[in-house]
Amino acid sequence: MQNLIAFIKRLRYFIVFVALQFFALSMYVSYMSAPKSSYFTTASFISGNLFEIRHAISQHFNLEENNQALQKENITLRKSSSLFLYNKTGVETKVNDSIYAQQYDYIPGTILNATTTKRNNFFTLDIGGIHGIKRGMGVFSSNGVVGIIHNVSDHFSVVKSVLTKNINIDVLISEVGVSGMLKWDGTNANIGSISGVSNDIAVPKGSKVITRGGSGIFPRGIDVGTIKKTETIEGEASWHIDVTFSQKYAALENVYVVKNLFLDEFKQIQNQ
Amino acid sequence: MSQIQIYFFRLLLFVFLQSFIFNQLEINATIHVMITPLYIFLLPFDRSVNSLMFISLLIGITVDATSNTFGLHTSSLLVFAYLRPVIFRVFSPRDGYDALKTPSIFDMGNRWFISTFSILLIGHHLWFFTLEAFSFNETLLILQKTLFSSFISFVVCVILQTIFIKRTA
Repeated sequence: MQNLIAFIKRLRYFIVFVALQFFALSMYVSYMSAPKSSYFTTASFISGNLFEIRHAISQHFNLEENNQALQKENITLRKSSSLFLYNKTGVETKVNDSIYAQQYDYIPGTILNATTTKRNNFFTLDIGGIHGIKRGMGVFSSNGVVGIIHNVSDHFSVVKSVLTKNINIDVLISEVGVSGMLKWDGTNANIGSISGVSNDIAVPKGSKVITRGGSGIFPRGIDVGTIKKTETIEGEASWHIDVTFSQKYAALENVYVVKNLFLDEFKQIQNQ
Repeated sequence: MSQIQIYFFRLLLFVFLQSFIFNQLEINATIHVMITPLYIFLLPFDRSVNSLMFISLLIGITVDATSNTFGLHTSSLLVFAYLRPVIFRVFSPRDGYDALKTPSIFDMGNRWFISTFSILLIGHHLWFFTLEAFSFNETLLILQKTLFSSFISFVVCVILQTIFIKRTA
């Protein structure tokens, strides 16, 4: 007994170290995969509000660029179809039509805080649970896909952006008609990669890449980028494809969150 | 101001600088400046490892909550705090440490500071980037990040000391 106590006493710092380290690492793993709460993220009340203050100062830096992007989008929408009515009140757009049923709602939001050079980049949005945001919804901007909602509090939410390890959004190379998984290797915020495209299909440089809409997160046809180059991987039957993102994530400000109105039905039929 | 007040305000300052200045600096993918290790390093010589680790936990959780790293800063600061006494013992002066002095570059001299702080800082950064990538495929990128980031962090930490830290003896 005496020996045991002496042994524990000798190791007491190490035991405290291991215990705290275990706490930190379990927090990291659980928040990376499936967060249960939003306490230790920027969606929490305190840091959410702090970033709101910071954003109030820094929002003007990219104002011109963002306004132009929105203006351009407005013009294309106005031109494209009468289904896209110009909405003066903001918030949610509902279209009444007997031929087309509306499948997606779009909730507008503003990015309060974004990083682009870390290994895993998460963006903070100024909208949260009370606006109808739920974990797993897709996020895109007028120029392209942005990410997937990772964590939600009442007033803020955290987006797991395209610039993250294991983002795995299903994308379609529109000219060729083959689909693959979007990934990011962690070095350049303008370039992502697509895996899972068999190398017996010729993929021309400059082809457009869009979302496939296969998992009900994104509607089909949201821009992702263009093919930059294709390379063969030694010993594998698939291409390594580099994609230039159509959205410059460093200057991102206004985004839309996708709410799939048929998601329950979609999941139900898939589980059968 | 008393010693405790000085350390308290310094803590607020370091957490603020880390969360809102250095985490937002987007130079390139290999440079991520981290200054919170300097706070742990500058705590008095006679602090026990446990108190160092609990302060690291406090700082780490605060920085993690503002940068969406979910525990990476906490984990690597704990490593830094745990290793600090070990490295200090290795580089101890012949007649031990003077309790009146602090571990700053002014009190202990350039050579002592460069050797101890750079070893601890590289360890801290290596731990951070390894956990962040969490894959052996990215070993080269991890080493690159560790090398460049710890160099820049070191320079920033020396500059911060010349601005905010006073010579004690």
